[in-house]
Amino acid sequence: MSDNVLILMLGISTFLGALGLFALLWGLKTGQFDDQSKFLDGARFDGEDELKDAIMMEKKKEEALKRKREKEKNYMPGD
Amino acid sequence: MAKVECSHCKLEFDESVMIIKEEDGKKLYFCCKGCEGVYTLLNSKGLDSFYERLGSNKLEPANIDFSDLDRFDSEAFAKKYIKTTKDGFSEINLIIEGIHCSACVWLNEKVLHQSDGVIEANINYSNNKAKVIWDSDVIKLSKIIEIIRAIGYDAHPYDPKIQEEKATKLRNEYYSRILVGVFATMNIMWIAIAQYTGFFTGMERSHKNILNIAEFILATPTLFYSGWIFFRGAYYGLKNRFVNMDLLVSAGALLAYLYSVYAMVTETGEVYFDSVTMIITFVLVGKYLEILSKKRAADTLDKIIGSMPTEAFVVKDGKKELKPIETIEIGDIIETKAGEKIVLDGVITKGSAMLDLSFLTGESEPILKKENDEVLSGSIVIDSPIQYRVTKNNNDSIVYQITELLSDAVTKKPHIEQLANKISGYFSITILTIAILTFLGWYFIGKVGFEQSLIIAISVIVIACPCALGLATPMATLVGISKAAKEGILFKEAITLESMAKATILALDKTGTITIGKPIVIKQNFIKEFDLSLLYSLAKISNHPISKAIAKHLEEKNENLKELNLDNIKEIQAKGVVAKYKDIELLGGNTELLKEYNIKFDIDSKNSIYIFAINKEVVAIFELKDVIKPNAKEFISKVKELGLKVVMLTGDRESVAKEIAKELGIDEVKANLLPQDKASYIDKLHQNGEIVVMVGDGINDSIALAKSDIAIAMGSGADVALEVSDVVLLNNSLSSLQKAFVLSKRVFRAIKENLGFSLVYNITVIPLAVLGYVNPLFAALAMSLSSLIVVGNSFRIYRSKI
Repeated sequence: MSDNVLILMLGISTFLGALGLFALLWGLKTGQFDDQSKFLDGARFDGEDELKDAIMMEKKKEEALKRKREKEKNYMPGD
Repeated sequence: MAKVECSHCKLEFDESVMIIKEEDGKKLYFCCKGCEGVYTLLNSKGLDSFYERLGSNKLEPANIDFSDLDRFDSEAFAKKYIKTTKDGFSEINLIIEGIHCSACVWLNEKVLHQSDGVIEANINYSNNKAKVIWDSDVIKLSKIIEIIRAIGYDAHPYDPKIQEEKATKLRNEYYSRILVGVFATMNIMWIAIAQYTGFFTGMERSHKNILNIAEFILATPTLFYSGWIFFRGAYYGLKNRFVNMDLLVSAGALLAYLYSVYAMVTETGEVYFDSVTMIITFVLVGKYLEILSKKRAADTLDKIIGSMPTEAFVVKDGKKELKPIETIEIGDIIETKAGEKIVLDGVITKGSAMLDLSFLTGESEPILKKENDEVLSGSIVIDSPIQYRVTKNNNDSIVYQITELLSDAVTKKPHIEQLANKISGYFSITILTIAILTFLGWYFIGKVGFEQSLIIAISVIVIACPCALGLATPMATLVGISKAAKEGILFKEAITLESMAKATILALDKTGTITIGKPIVIKQNFIKEFDLSLLYSLAKISNHPISKAIAKHLEEKNENLKELNLDNIKEIQAKGVVAKYKDIELLGGNTELLKEYNIKFDIDSKNSIYIFAINKEVVAIFELKDVIKPNAKEFISKVKELGLKVVMLTGDRESVAKEIAKELGIDEVKANLLPQDKASYIDKLHQNGEIVVMVGDGINDSIALAKSDIAIAMGSGADVALEVSDVVLLNNSLSSLQKAFVLSKRVFRAIKENLGFSLVYNITVIPLAVLGYVNPLFAALAMSLSSLIVVGNSFRIYRSKI
């Protein structure tokens, strides 16, 4: 067995495993496993509507932030 | 008549009482206006897919109430519950009431998402807690609550104890670290198998180097990420001048790692990367098991304070004004409606009412308070409105004092030192010393050179497997906890099992713990035949414990009882109930009631009496009493056999307490105790060096529970009592309390066995390591085996009889 084959085998298998590990860690960090039943229901029910909802919420947040910033810019102390 | 399902809540009712609506040729039925409102609202918003998601689940009929919404916008409220996020939005934690299934969660999130100004709404299904973030410039909190209420749910704010968040965060942190550790260990193991084979059969140097580098890559994150906890623990230990197990683990792992790196770079000797990851991962799992079963931070104080109103109606010059409690002064007159709580200590100036004092005394029977009588904060007004003059301000009122005492007691809870902690301290010092001596011995006396001496010294640390020691306690207690849960005993924290085995005194509350806590009929005497449904209907009207007991007694003994429609119902405080059925005059209550209605009847008894009269003629007499739970006597004698002293602490009268104590053979009785007195008695026991187990169920026991070493609450007890307790008996029975004691002794034995085994293991293998006979394969095998034996021994608890 040549060294290169050994390196390739070890490298690829560990890398693939590591990808799974990172995905798991990311999910844990973003709180996706906090509520077990919701997590399962998400897989069962969530469809296009939910995705649209999530996008809508993100947009809403952006807009609200923008409004906040503008308000701060236009803020004039009363005299 | 046919029963039909309500179109909204899916509960079944008679067709005749339902609201029927026709829509698109479909017939809709509603049990109430609330359900109808919610159904129409959901349809108009396009949220009717809710009913598809609901499946076969049923809801509660929607009870929509938009009152007191203003309170959510008050400044006092905002200060207490609303936080501001980094982005400048408002954030609140709510508990949503009425959530039955995942469809409910979906619906609530959906409507909140659809409302303008709500930035984030996230509801946890398992505990019904919600986090809502909103832009306060666009929408007010009261509007958000209104939206939730409009779809048939209700929301209460709660103050998330930072501790609770911290605990979850800590668990997640450990979990991530373990994931990395397990991943690396598993991969290193199969690489190590190649290494071991190579060790015995020989392999090319270049192959060995590749395997070494692969192991190095996997071991590095494990040591520095997963093992960070041990380095931190060791550092804090040294800072406080004591040697702990963390030091041994981190020193062993770090030395093995450094040596392996050296061996890898110089291409000499064997690498120990597999041992590094294995030690870290195993001991980390042991630590995680301990954290997993740690009691979640008690929200005790929040619960009591949260249940107290923050505002009250102050009457001034004939006008009523809602004022925050803190601003109410001594001498102000407060009006309290039926069902509300007394907020400050005071004296009644107008009206009279039955007060529920169970918060303070633990006794369930309400007490009549008239004008000029003193009322204490925390008691609940049951029947009619009263006005009272405040005599003590907020900080001196009894509720405030109790919460203060409680917070004190919770934070200063005694902790019995754990056996494993004590042993591991000595163990670590011994091993580190042996390792240093080994190094010096081989270097100066054995003259094998620096490198060889170091390898042997490291092998001593590596093989002195802290894994078995680290797993000894958590494994045994965890198995014990799950065994207990099967028997209906809920241990909130693993350590409790161990410390309970060391208890010397058992302190018991009377009402609800030794006794059932509610009066039950012990004697009945029917003087004349009559329709039992009359009595049943009359008893059903009142919420008084005696009336309830009579109704329950009748239900148990008879079938075919009907609830009749009674008129002219009048509840007479502390006496009984009178009512009319058609032309028949019904009267049920105690002897006082008979006197008031001029009925001559004589009876004398120590027990509570309930007399039933039809048209002023006595037809039945019942005697009621709070009785002792079954097998109480047996339980007490068993506990005494286990070597514990038994004490009874009660807020009840001395004569009653003494009688029960005598019947059960309890050595010591303290009667007439207020909540604080119970607590100070526990303190006194502590001063005598006793380890106290306290069993109780009421709010009045909670301070004493919090102060005791091991607190056990009855599952039916008050929330606060459950909250401060270490153990909850779900079936309220004394026999499961007895089982808890036996189990704790069994677990303690298993812990001792585990510790004993890992010490014996170490005593046998360490000399071998010191003499330099240990190779990597043997070290790895021995280490796993010793851990497995500890795990196996712990599982024996599961099969033991308790």
